Amino acid sequence: MSQSHSLINLKIDGKDVQIAAGATILEAAETVGIKIPTMCYLKKLSPTGACRVCVVEVAGADKTMTACNTRVVEGMAVTTQSEKLGAIRQQMVELLLVNHPLDCPVCDAGGECDLQDICYSQDVTTQPFAAADVNAPVIDHWPLIQQVPNRCILCEKCVKVCYEVIGADALFVNEKGDKAFIDKHLDRCEFCGNCVQVCPTGTMISKPFKFKARPWELRKTDSVCTLCSAHCQVNYESKHGKVLRVTSEDGVTVNDGNLCVGGFFGHGFLNSDQRLTVPLVAGQPVSWDTALGKVNSDLVRLRAEAGGQTLAGLASGYLTNEEGYLFQKLFRVALGSNNLDSTARFGLLRAVKVLRGQLGLTSASGPLDGIGHAEAVLVFGCDPTSESPAVDWQVQLAHRKHDAKLIVADPRRVKLAGQAETFLQYRPGSETLLAGALAKLIVAKGQADSTWLSQQVGNQTELLAYLDGIDVAAACAASGIDQGLLEEAADYLGTANSVAVIFGRAVTQAANAEEAVAALANLALVSGALRGDCGGIFPVAEQGNACGLLNAGVCPEFLPGFQENAAAGADANSILAGIEAGTIKALYLAGCNPLIEFPANGRWKTALAKLELLVVQDILASELTAMAHVVLPGASGAEKCGSVTALDGRVSTLAKAIDPPGEARPDLAIFADLFTALSGKPAPSAATLRSQLAEPKRPGGKLHGATPALTTPATAELQLLVGKCPFHFGTMTTYSAANNELAPAGAILINPADAARLGVAEGGQLKVTGPAGSAIGRAMIKDKVPAGLLTAADHFAAMNIQQIMPSGSNCVAVTAAKG
Amino acid sequence: MADVVFSSWGGKVVDNRQGGEPQPAVFKLPDNYLDEGRVGAFMGWDGIILYDREVDVVAMAAEYMKRVQEKYCCAKCTPGKRGTRVMMDTLGRIVAGQGEERDLDILAGLADLLENCKCTLCMTAARPVLDSVKHFRNDYLAFIRGERQAKTARAYHDKVTAPCTDRCPAHIDIPAYVEAIKDYRPDESLEAIRRNMPIPAVCGRVCPHPCEKSCRRALVDEPISIMVLKRVAADHEWMHHQQPPMQPKPATGKKVIVVGAGPAGLTCAYYLALEGHKVKIIDMLSEPGGTVAVGIPDYRMPRHLLQREADVIAALGVEIEYGVKLGRDMTLAQLKEQYDAVFLGTGAFKSKPMGVEGEDQGYKGFSTGGIHYLRMVALGEPIVTPKRVIVVGGGNTAIDCVRVALREGAEESILLYRRTRKEMPAEPYEVDDAEEEGVKFIFLALPTKLITENNQIVGVEVLKMELGEPDASGRRSPQPIPGSEYVIPCDLVIPAIGQDPDLDYLEQGDYGIKKTRWNSIVTHGGTMMTDNEGVFAGGDCEYGAMTVVVAVGHGRRAARVMHRYLTEGKSYLNEEDAMEDIINGFGAFDKNEKVGIAGGLHREHQPKVNGPERIANYEEIELAMPESQAVREAERCLRCYRVGMLAVNG
Repeated sequence: MSQSHSLINLKIDGKDVQIAAGATILEAAETVGIKIPTMCYLKKLSPTGACRVCVVEVAGADKTMTACNTRVVEGMAVTTQSEKLGAIRQQMVELLLVNHPLDCPVCDAGGECDLQDICYSQDVTTQPFAAADVNAPVIDHWPLIQQVPNRCILCEKCVKVCYEVIGADALFVNEKGDKAFIDKHLDRCEFCGNCVQVCPTGTMISKPFKFKARPWELRKTDSVCTLCSAHCQVNYESKHGKVLRVTSEDGVTVNDGNLCVGGFFGHGFLNSDQRLTVPLVAGQPVSWDTALGKVNSDLVRLRAEAGGQTLAGLASGYLTNEEGYLFQKLFRVALGSNNLDSTARFGLLRAVKVLRGQLGLTSASGPLDGIGHAEAVLVFGCDPTSESPAVDWQVQLAHRKHDAKLIVADPRRVKLAGQAETFLQYRPGSETLLAGALAKLIVAKGQADSTWLSQQVGNQTELLAYLDGIDVAAACAASGIDQGLLEEAADYLGTANSVAVIFGRAVTQAANAEEAVAALANLALVSGALRGDCGGIFPVAEQGNACGLLNAGVCPEFLPGFQENAAAGADANSILAGIEAGTIKALYLAGCNPLIEFPANGRWKTALAKLELLVVQDILASELTAMAHVVLPGASGAEKCGSVTALDGRVSTLAKAIDPPGEARPDLAIFADLFTALSGKPAPSAATLRSQLAEPKRPGGKLHGATPALTTPATAELQLLVGKCPFHFGTMTTYSAANNELAPAGAILINPADAARLGVAEGGQLKVTGPAGSAIGRAMIKDKVPAGLLTAADHFAAMNIQQIMPSGSNCVAVTAAKG
Repeated sequence: MADVVFSSWGGKVVDNRQGGEPQPAVFKLPDNYLDEGRVGAFMGWDGIILYDREVDVVAMAAEYMKRVQEKYCCAKCTPGKRGTRVMMDTLGRIVAGQGEERDLDILAGLADLLENCKCTLCMTAARPVLDSVKHFRNDYLAFIRGERQAKTARAYHDKVTAPCTDRCPAHIDIPAYVEAIKDYRPDESLEAIRRNMPIPAVCGRVCPHPCEKSCRRALVDEPISIMVLKRVAADHEWMHHQQPPMQPKPATGKKVIVVGAGPAGLTCAYYLALEGHKVKIIDMLSEPGGTVAVGIPDYRMPRHLLQREADVIAALGVEIEYGVKLGRDMTLAQLKEQYDAVFLGTGAFKSKPMGVEGEDQGYKGFSTGGIHYLRMVALGEPIVTPKRVIVVGGGNTAIDCVRVALREGAEESILLYRRTRKEMPAEPYEVDDAEEEGVKFIFLALPTKLITENNQIVGVEVLKMELGEPDASGRRSPQPIPGSEYVIPCDLVIPAIGQDPDLDYLEQGDYGIKKTRWNSIVTHGGTMMTDNEGVFAGGDCEYGAMTVVVAVGHGRRAARVMHRYLTEGKSYLNEEDAMEDIINGFGAFDKNEKVGIAGGLHREHQPKVNGPERIANYEEIELAMPESQAVREAERCLRCYRVGMLAVNG
């Protein structure tokens, strides 16, 4: 690399400036407080140099230079203000304004428009230029986003954020000359809304927000999005008690102002007419006193009749840390029951237990931005674009801007697979073999850091012997991977100084999740992912605050802070069996919907009907609330305070942006009332709870290599893999009109060959039958799924794909037919 | 050549409109545009050249600006996108008789403002308009006063180019591919490259990159590393296992035979296949690439990448048959009979004689030529390189030979050249590389006699030389120093002073194909067609031993003309080809230009394996430039696009 780290000395407007080589004039000026006007510049993007407003004069150069993309050199003397520059800037803005419509009063950007601002700051008050208006007509056929070409200054920020940051590459400049406009490959659009966010004018418009409010009327609340486990910074922007849009601040947190389809558009559920606004008993609206009184008295009665072990609770990752803590305390202390669990049972918890045992980790080994600076990134059994877009953006950063090698291992041709150096499209079930073979190759080629391993890994000899015993050729055969590709991937991982290993639902929810995670932990050890500041191992959680919930002790085996709990207790599977057996009589569901989210939920549906008491505390009406004896309306993340823990262990604070609707209450207040009623003691305050939420306890001692069984996956003619739809997060966004516009119902992705074989057309009904039942969904014919594999997402009540799945597996042999 | 009536080209005004003693001005523009008519005027990046006073300069300026705005302006900067539109519309109003005098100030003001453009396309396009306003003001005023009607020329022909693009024999849209690298879009970069060049992994490595000699950035600090950026784009696709996106057009039913799977043949086959023609390539070697494969060692050009390029071309439906030689296994007449068109890309594989006493005696230890030595090594044929090797010559083949000899176990590898290092035609960096690897150079030495014992070479007698006056090539010609003879002991002498085409296959019938005095094939008027209709030729067999990129340029041009021949029955140049050649003759680079921007940024270099380390094997010695570094390098590009337009009158 020839870019040195030396310092450059220059003068800007007579001021001495010293800055690292490679910096631009604009960056140098910023360090001494000199502001150069810009229009197309955005720090997180590569400089474009389109607007020509940031022109400056450089001594010795006859021409002006643009500050945003001119690198400083030693001895440079820059002038940022002069009559000549002022005239140029003015004329540039005048040109921008040729045929710019005078619809500022109804333009969405009015009041927060960079073009308005620069006219004002550069004193642009006249228009000497005229030209025919050849602007393209308004583009209205895109879902959710409107494009108004005559407001566009062609700064390309939208194009660049779409490509460089998000990696979608949907937007592009179409046409030549003054007819040029921003167009879109609609099939590539992720509807993240970042084009709207970065647009300096009212060109890119959010349709759901359009005409809802003037920007100055909006109250901004700095908070955190919990739709996935990355926890991006958001500003809830509200008016009259309604969140009307969500934005994010650049340069503040790891998401750097970027949002995804969930963060940007997904808030629609807040205003859904399906929101629960009053407590219900037997379906009838009642007062809080009546509802809580009923819960209290029924629980007391059942506890007295048959003991605390007849009571159970299930929570979801949409609770805050404090709420999770109080929920477990309610069960363990007030009710004397250790029967409590969460959705993480089927995924994250399985991974965390392995990582904790082997590596002493209860979440990712390092901060999320460690991915962006790693030299090699392995994305294994995970579609970050869908599961946790902020992880995707880190991968984009590492791979596109920092030369990281990207290896994607997944049964599906996910978006990142198309960008990867090496794509290992493995057969589901071969994860352990594949990760094991990668680790073996790294060791066999002498690329593992043996000094580090011998210092850090307690059972290094055992680990190396285990890896040595892996038959790479057999692993390739079983996983369907070409050995040359596998060796190439191992080489990238083995030679990189820092490695990030990311894995997600396709691993953590698999039948062999424990073995696969153990193999990935081994791979992290030998590839050096756990060595140094960059990279690490990153389990992507399936729900927003799943990490926080586990740390709060919402599972039978751990008390808060991952303290091991010897007391007997039923986990989700045992709770189901208990209900079926009649030994569990009351179930408290806090934000948790087993009828959609849990596998084998046909069994759950039957079981729930047997309960003497079913309490559902949630924010949205569903089949579940219709079955409940008592419905307690809770509050969404925008309607309450509390802390949440991201997949990398980062703790952030939710700020209350609006009041919960109607009589709905923050979940913590509901738990507190019940706790007091049941225990006779005052509930701890939020502050006390926060202080009691211990740092996770990491077992001491050395790291451990594991020796997971290397089983060859069973083959089946057709398998179904359950995962996530990129446009939805849990069940919540299925109540958001915007997200439903993109994905209105459950779909089953099918390879063109399979579709042809089954005679299924695009959009036609497809019926899949698995071990636990059948489901019907719309066929989407995509070659991103290989022949022999179907995929479906588990958000939709109507399709309810989880009803066909056995507990503890995300991939099963199925039969399929035209529905 | 026609007399210049007016010129403002290069800021130098020659105005003969008022008669009198004509001021001379000479430009390398043709008198006629193809057979359409006389060239009346040229308008472009550096001014106006008017040959025919009947040309309506105002109307031409209006047409020029319209084309710039509507056809070429990328819209990616404010003054370019909007400024040229305002200029176009203003000129349009004037020509339509609706102009005002203050419009002329607006045009002049905008031309100034456009000096602040992001690139030079719109910026330079404003210059001839400004010149027209300055020097043809009365014509403008006549329009404004409604006294004139616009008089359009019989035809206008335009062309966008850039100094680098123009200089590149394959005319690759270099600014486009460099900009795509800057924008982190290596796939789009490759797409731009492939529009003119289907073997980017090759030309990203071993192209002599004449483009970099016409790089305007060099006038500011250092030229852009154009060639290496091409490798970055090519390697990205390969390293990511990406399938090239090209899809051939529907089949035309026409069959073409391409003789030779070298750069010219592969290129010709690629573009013909894309047009839907059924192409078969035959080659005498056992692998693709011709001279690139067997004449350029793997440490410079790994052959697996050459194979990948050929595979990409084959994937378009091109059949390649190896081990078949024209003239030995079939005749040209047979090919003509079986195919609708023939492309000869048979290269230059015959080593030139050294002109030294004893070279025709068949001594052991006297190689038949550098290109043969390299080929035998490349193909793994049995050949033993002895301890002391002398290679005679100063070109790239000579350099390759001395470096290969080291890798083949020679303890001493000496390059003998009759001039000095400065005059060597080989790339300077390769000479440096050879020196780093331990090659010895003996300059100003002319071999005069082979010294033998028992029919085995034991040395070469050389005569010392000194440099005299510059010769026709501009290089100082070496003069012998009488009586300075001495003997350099050695075991093997490899002459590497050039190659000639082997055109024996043309002697097997009365084909009527003319040859030059350098024994290369004659083709006509840039169409690459020989005197035998339907037989085209390009590359080394047409030009004499030259560069890969010249061969690519030939292959592409031949394919374009062959497509017309196959589909329309006529071989001719279209506007793009004709303007490409006209601009190329005219020149698009002014080495004396004062660019006037701030510079001081160094060119980025790709990492390289150390000299002693690399002679142990044939692994590639230049390592891939990290893409982030390539982005920094690409940011230095000034995107020197420029549009020229001819007015053709009757």
